[in-house]
Amino acid sequence: MTTQESLISHDHAGPPTLSAGDHAPLPADAPPGAIFVARGLRYSYLDRFAALDGVDLDVMPGEMVALLGANGSGKSTLLKVLDGLVFPSEGTLHAFGHLVTEGNLEDEQYVEAFRSRVGFVFQNSDTQVFSPTVREEVAFGCLQLGLSAEETRQRVDDVLGMLGIADLADRAPFQLSGGQKKKVAIASVLVMNPEVLLFDEPTAALDPRSQQWLAELIVELNAAGKTIVYATHDLDVLEQIATRCVVFSEDHRILASGPPGAILDDTALLLSANLIHEHSHVHLREGQRVEHSHAHQRGGHHH
Amino acid sequence: MAEHTTTTTPSWLLSSNVGLCPCGCIGKRTKGSFVEKTLTGGSDLLRQVMFSDDLARRSGLLQRLDPRAKLGGMLLLLIGAGLAHHLETLLATYVVVLALAGASRVPLGFFLKRVWLFVPIFTLIVVLPATLSIVTHGDVVVELWSWHGQPQGLTAQGLRSAALVVSRVAVSISLVVLVTVTTPWNRLLAGLRGLGVPRMFILVIGMAYRYIFLLLDSVTDMYEARKARTMARVKHDRTARAFVGASAGALVGKANQLSEEVHQAMVARGYRGEARVLDTLRLRRADLVALAVAVLATALMLTADRMLGR
Amino acid sequence: MHIPDGYLSPSTCAVGYAVAIPTWAIASKRVSKVVKTRNVPMLAVFSALSFLVMMFNVPIPDGTTAHAVGGAVIAICLGPWAAVIAVSVALLFQALLFGDGGVLSYGVNVVNMAIILPFVGYGIYRLIAGRTPLTSGRRVVAAAIGGYVGINAAALAAAVEFGIQPDLFKSADGTPLYSPYHLSQTIPAMAIPHLTIAGLVEAVMSAAIVAYLQRADVSRLVPSHPGIPLTEADRAPRPARTLAPARVALGFVVLMVVLSPLGLLAPGGAFGEDNPNDLNLNKLGLHAVPAGLDKYNGFWSHTLLGGYGFSSGDHADLGYILSALIGIVVVGVAILLIGLVMRAVLGRRDADREREQEPQRLG
Ligand SMILES: Nc1ncnc2c1ncn2[C@@H]1O[C@H](COP(=O)(O)OP(=O)(O)OP(=O)(O)O)[C@@H](O)[C@H]1O
Ligand SMILES: [Mg+2]
Repeated sequence: MTTQESLISHDHAGPPTLSAGDHAPLPADAPPGAIFVARGLRYSYLDRFAALDGVDLDVMPGEMVALLGANGSGKSTLLKVLDGLVFPSEGTLHAFGHLVTEGNLEDEQYVEAFRSRVGFVFQNSDTQVFSPTVREEVAFGCLQLGLSAEETRQRVDDVLGMLGIADLADRAPFQLSGGQKKKVAIASVLVMNPEVLLFDEPTAALDPRSQQWLAELIVELNAAGKTIVYATHDLDVLEQIATRCVVFSEDHRILASGPPGAILDDTALLLSANLIHEHSHVHLREGQRVEHSHAHQRGGHHH
Repeated sequence: MAEHTTTTTPSWLLSSNVGLCPCGCIGKRTKGSFVEKTLTGGSDLLRQVMFSDDLARRSGLLQRLDPRAKLGGMLLLLIGAGLAHHLETLLATYVVVLALAGASRVPLGFFLKRVWLFVPIFTLIVVLPATLSIVTHGDVVVELWSWHGQPQGLTAQGLRSAALVVSRVAVSISLVVLVTVTTPWNRLLAGLRGLGVPRMFILVIGMAYRYIFLLLDSVTDMYEARKARTMARVKHDRTARAFVGASAGALVGKANQLSEEVHQAMVARGYRGEARVLDTLRLRRADLVALAVAVLATALMLTADRMLGR
Repeated sequence: MHIPDGYLSPSTCAVGYAVAIPTWAIASKRVSKVVKTRNVPMLAVFSALSFLVMMFNVPIPDGTTAHAVGGAVIAICLGPWAAVIAVSVALLFQALLFGDGGVLSYGVNVVNMAIILPFVGYGIYRLIAGRTPLTSGRRVVAAAIGGYVGINAAALAAAVEFGIQPDLFKSADGTPLYSPYHLSQTIPAMAIPHLTIAGLVEAVMSAAIVAYLQRADVSRLVPSHPGIPLTEADRAPRPARTLAPARVALGFVVLMVVLSPLGLLAPGGAFGEDNPNDLNLNKLGLHAVPAGLDKYNGFWSHTLLGGYGFSSGDHADLGYILSALIGIVVVGVAILLIGLVMRAVLGRRDADREREQEPQRLG
């Protein structure tokens, strides 16, 4: 790796690997007050397909962290690890100062606290929206965490109103468009009012206006004190909705992490992460960032 | 370090030849196979079920009732129809059902079509041979041939039995269809829960309903994709069988992944094995009246049936 | 195989529910214990799958349709109790939303397709697969045969339920009140399409799914196969197994189930002479009936036709109802037996497994 500029700090160069135990202490280099402290995370699907290969990450309260990386680099997997849905085969994850393991999450109190503090909007909203009606879908999380029916109903109405989907309340989720489903998925997480929000490609499937609206919503939530971690392929809005970017390499490690401006300026880094094509240029210095492609002019192709 | 994806587009992809066939032929349309018909028929049917939601939202008699009252009444009348031994009783019940459909603003044409296609019609065909003396012994009313000096043909018992079975099938299906088209799916589910179906079943039913649509889409997609890639026409049967074999595996793979992700999505929102639901059902007086009417109607039906003889 | 309302007497339907309800109760208890939270989405997706599979059906001449169910393979993937729930839910959709299969007869349909099918299919699968590793080819064959036999057992049960109606329930003048066909007609009418088309589809589908899982994600099969090694390599040496009596009983029941539809094919040939309507079925390659089957044929016609001589309409109803009950209860008890046997076997293996390995998170 020779492409990093001095501006971009590496996230913890030497990964101190800790063996997972239900009471492993916070790593010594963990910044105080961090929400997530991940060290040396490794995960592979079916023990065959690597998805994370030694990932270190700290997330501080109030941050807006954007995870960038090519398809299949491990962004979704990392988010699932952060949400305690899959468990790393190696490495440790501390959330709110406590170790997250499968065993710990079986503890009633711990799991309830964890689930109500961390919300996750999945990449594929078809899987997230599983209830017979939109209203029940949005109510699901609150009811699971023991909110009263009355309070739940109130919250559901509020959140549906806020997202402008109140008229869908009694529809069945399979009757919705992709973008509407996404909004329902977002509503079903916001309704629980978690302090950490994990989004997996939240803007995919949304129309441009809704994308803009979502970007503003994220900023607004962040201003209200929420910590936000999201995976995205949308480089255009990064400076607006990220305080930090984390770039994944295709071999499932973190290449770099730093403020969006610095990351986006580093064309070599983005190229090495296979995030951009040689022929696409991100124009940073113009008032508005435009991404476009030059005509293909390599040898061997004649048009 | 990962390599750059400097893929070069293969030239054949950029050439203007259409597909694999250099002659540029488009091929001829072939009739749909069994699989294809079932797929398109199936998605049409599912769509129809979804459309029936707007019948369920009209303001008619049955739409105003609590789903539990409707399901309970339906069960009573079904048992009544099952116990009835006379055609007259069943026909009278059918008239009442049609009247209920009318009062619930269910278009008659739609209702008749939905009910009669295809089970009762099929039943009719199926019971026809049973009218013959070789199946149902009895008094031969229409002699068709004789065997060992015995007249053989249609028997009174056979004809009556056929009429009885067909009309009972039609009445039963009408009752079920009437209730399901006048009740939105989620209310129906709530009604089942109200009738004591355990929560885990309700949860499975609700989710399965949703995933039928998703999986049907995958099957259709897989089939379409396959069809789009298949140029030569193989024998129908074999294609269908190969398709079933190949797609079943892939479908299960998909189903597996789906269930894993749904599980994660549920767990992420605090699911720990027991789902809680928003309960909104309340039995009102009208519902109790409706139930009482159903009880009375069933009693009346059975008394009348007994009076007609055994 | 979906029996609509109107073909069966309410009392037959009541018997169906009487078998189904306790089975559901056991199933939901066992399923929630075994797979914990993961079960609900899994069951839901598999019932959706079963529902879709059942949509591919062809009408057959006794008033129902022939189609695959997927019950056996669901039992293989999730365990037989889970299969009970998954297929029951699929049948519920069919009954409520599509009028395919009745509401009163739902219990009977559940007994046939959601109880008999998965348990018989699963039993056969386990018998054939034995303790071969999860990735072994024998499991694919076992799944195919399990599916084939399971669906035919279910079809036979449906045929019996149909076939006892005209003798049990008729009015004073001999008018059959429900399905008018006799056992000698319903059994071939159900058996032939299921032995050929539906059985084959179920077999191909079961085999394809097991083969797919072996290739793509064999760990999915681990929870429903406790104590079975993954590959030949991790096979622990085991002491030679003795044939437990329960195992033998199970084998016997299964063998009977396999044999009975074959034996009952013989009256089908005779029936074809009587009823021109069904002749085309008999052309389907069933000319040669193995000599040994004549014996079974005689056995069956003796007991069934002898007992239910349909010319005399004044037979004691009680006797008929008793016979019907016995028929169904025998099937029920057989299932229960299989269930008990498996519970014992599974329970032991579960304990073994817990001792042997830390439960590992899959997928
Ligand atoms: N269910 C699965 N089974 C097997 N392998 C998987 C599964 N899900 C993901 N993988 C593999 O794990 C790796 C990381 O996947 P992940 O979904 O985390 O990528 P991603 O960065 O989110 O990609 P994308 O931008 O396409 O969403 C990929 O190589 C992928 O092939
Ligand atoms: Mg992803």
